Amino acid sequence: MVFRALSRLVLRMVPRRQRSAIPSQRGSDPQISLTGKLSKNLRENESLIRDTFGNSSDLVIRKLRFGSGPGIAMLVVHIDGLVDSALISDAVIRPIAVTPEFFEMDKQSSARVRDRIRDGLISVSDISEVSDKSDFLTAIAEGKCGIIIDGSPDAFVCDIGGFEMRNLEEPMNEVVIRGPREGFCEVLRVNTSLLRRRIRSPRLWIEEFTVGRISRTQVEIVYLKGIADEKLVREARERIRRIDIDSIQESGQLEEYIEDAPYSPFPTILRTERPDRVVGGLLEGRIAILTDGTPFALIVPVTITMFLTSPDDYFERSFIASAERLIRHTSFFVGLFLPSLYVAVTTFHYEMLPTTLVIAIAAQHEGIPFPAVFEAFLMEVSFEILREAAVRLPNVFGPAISVVGVLILGEAAVRAGLASSVMIIIVALTAIASFVTPIFSLSVAVRLLRFPMIFLAGSLGLFGVVFGFSIMAIHLASLRSFGIPYLAPIAPIVSSDQKDVFVRLPWWKLDTRPEFTGKRDVRRQARGLKPHPPEPRRKQAPSSQRKKRSR
Amino acid sequence: MSVLEGGKISGRQFMAVLTMVRLVPVTLVFSMVTSASNPQDAWIASIISGVVAIPFAMLIARLSLKFPEKTIIEYSQIILGPVLGKLVGLVFLWFSIQTSVNIIRALGEAYAIAIMPETPIQTFMIMLAIMSCYAARSGLEVLSRLGEDTLFIVGFIFLVACVLPYNAMRLENLLPVLAKGMSSLIPPVVASLGYYSQFIMIGMLVPYLAKPEEATKYAIYAVLISGFLTTAGCVSVVAALGTTANSWTLPLFSLARLISLGEFFERIEAGIMAAWTLSTGIKLALFLWAISVGIAQLFNLKRYEPLVFPLAAVFIPLALVAFESMVDLEDYLSKADAVAAVIIAVAVIALLYVGLGVRSFLFPGKEKYR
Repeated sequence: MVFRALSRLVLRMVPRRQRSAIPSQRGSDPQISLTGKLSKNLRENESLIRDTFGNSSDLVIRKLRFGSGPGIAMLVVHIDGLVDSALISDAVIRPIAVTPEFFEMDKQSSARVRDRIRDGLISVSDISEVSDKSDFLTAIAEGKCGIIIDGSPDAFVCDIGGFEMRNLEEPMNEVVIRGPREGFCEVLRVNTSLLRRRIRSPRLWIEEFTVGRISRTQVEIVYLKGIADEKLVREARERIRRIDIDSIQESGQLEEYIEDAPYSPFPTILRTERPDRVVGGLLEGRIAILTDGTPFALIVPVTITMFLTSPDDYFERSFIASAERLIRHTSFFVGLFLPSLYVAVTTFHYEMLPTTLVIAIAAQHEGIPFPAVFEAFLMEVSFEILREAAVRLPNVFGPAISVVGVLILGEAAVRAGLASSVMIIIVALTAIASFVTPIFSLSVAVRLLRFPMIFLAGSLGLFGVVFGFSIMAIHLASLRSFGIPYLAPIAPIVSSDQKDVFVRLPWWKLDTRPEFTGKRDVRRQARGLKPHPPEPRRKQAPSSQRKKRSR
Repeated sequence: MSVLEGGKISGRQFMAVLTMVRLVPVTLVFSMVTSASNPQDAWIASIISGVVAIPFAMLIARLSLKFPEKTIIEYSQIILGPVLGKLVGLVFLWFSIQTSVNIIRALGEAYAIAIMPETPIQTFMIMLAIMSCYAARSGLEVLSRLGEDTLFIVGFIFLVACVLPYNAMRLENLLPVLAKGMSSLIPPVVASLGYYSQFIMIGMLVPYLAKPEEATKYAIYAVLISGFLTTAGCVSVVAALGTTANSWTLPLFSLARLISLGEFFERIEAGIMAAWTLSTGIKLALFLWAISVGIAQLFNLKRYEPLVFPLAAVFIPLALVAFESMVDLEDYLSKADAVAAVIIAVAVIALLYVGLGVRSFLFPGKEKYR
């Protein structure tokens, strides 16, 4: 009783923002409807914990038994990766195991064991007693170590801490201006702990698979129970289970076994090194697939617009984020169509350009021995070679490559009469535009599709471009990623999801999860969160201020 | 009977593909204007035909809703018996094949006349057919998803083309109203109704609607949207091109050529061209899909996909031999084809309703066919 009163007092003192983990508060997670106390029965408690965590692979439950006769049992529960397991064995398990007093305990002496632990047997500074199911489970999910004693209604929760920040590096090819600077690493358990630290809820379920007859690689699927569609989870499970291969070394290998459209140039699975991107996906009802030995996580199902979003879209203010989003979408089209449009117009449809521009282009093209389509091919191919070389070369040679690129491609090609300078501008602009795409796998697809587009434009003019566009559109519309239409909010048009496609509306307007993946639990925030200035003071002082004064 | 296609489409997508059915001839050959002896009144004809088309669309939709899981090919056999029913199905297919042939040729001619006169017309026709076959084979769901987006693109470009040549427009070109009397409205109204009678396609689409009960509502929306766009087109074309608008081969294309904003934003024919190609591609894909599904259902085939490419391969030579030139095609479209289409559509619907009436008279109490 005293403890309850105390905890209520503590609650009142904690600012509201930090209280979110405590279920009885506003803003608590409605899905954890576990009301009531922990059971006195150890086995019931154990199955409760396992069920709530979906038997996740990083959940560690250690059962201790000591004393005379049947003795007394105890559970030590923690999440691997969030808690330092060496500290647990030193500070929790060893003291219990070596205390001579415990040797003659039996089932009736649970109260004595409890008192003993409370009085300082366990050498951890922060230890508290809980009796509510949800308090206990939330604490575990937050990275605390839980101790349950058989026959006792109360359990202990101790903050071992010990989560050491490993030296995580910022992902090199998913750079953000604003946002967390850590990326996944090669160790699976560290990666899951990165997710657990961001979603501190028992609803984050992790299932483990072993893939590879020889390599025995750990593969885990991560999802939010109650948000992710069960059918989707089942589908992911089945697709991973049917892989029978000698070894999996990278998630890219896995990707080719589970993707929907193996022959499509477009990626139907998103790979990322960023935990914040994975968390964003999980909260939208998607599933993450983590593979041991690689920092690349896979997200399924995806839509094409996800490849054009960057995590900092959600951290930057919406106005700026939307502008960047629009630029990214534009450059996607520029990267895909600009060279072919240029070739089409200069080969077939001169009349579409203003006269002065036509004369300028024609004058430049005077001494060039090739038709525009060949010129475009030549320049695009040489740029691709240059780009590939820049990736492979050691960093020291980077400047050398850019000098060669600028001089040879830019200046000398024009002087030698191999290409017109307008073409150089077009190729350069296209190249830069294709680097804007935040996810590499889509920008590669765009770069490769540029070549057939140039060919179509060179042979059929604008009709060829429209033809290529239509074929691409039909192909994209027919693609599905784990059953979700790939062009989802655009075709079919989902009006409620337009808030986060070409623009990103303010956060308080992003109130629903995507139609196709988040149907199970659509609302993601309370209504009416739009901020507004305080009401005029003379009417009534805002309630929070009044409280402060009274204290 | 098995539904050959697994996909489901939303009401909005249904509306979009129907709108495309009516809009395609407008973006290509504006037979509303070109068939009129005095084009000033084309907009009146457009409104009249739209008003007439609404009950027509409602009748087809209501009929299909009596059999919400069956296509017109299937339920005509239920209503009229196997022999007569199959015959009606064949007439429907023949009608759709003729329409597909027309639009293939129309697009080819438009490109060959307006944009790339030195390229053989077959090129455009074959490429269009390939595009539409791909879409038709991907299924109705994919097709109508694209249709939904294409409607936005086409509608936008269409409106831009209608509004932006405002400095070339003279509204007095629309005067005098009804100078040659009401009877001069008959040819353009019939020409327009000829296209609206292609709404008989509703009979193929209703069983694939996620909510079939919305069919009537969205069919009416489709008539309203396409009627509005067509009327706007009529007004702009005549206002900009003058009373001789009926002698232009591709009025909307010529209209786009007039656009000039600040001596920079001009020459948006490319946009019109893209709108043409997209909308024609969608419409042809819809018809290819409907014809192959119809044939498959008529002859109890298990799959429709293998029919798509051979059908298109037959359509191209048909389209080549059927007409001599663009003039011939336009003449055919606005006269013989339109009259035939109206007669066929009205006859089929009337026959089915009469059959339904006779059946409910003979077997009372069995009105539900689900």
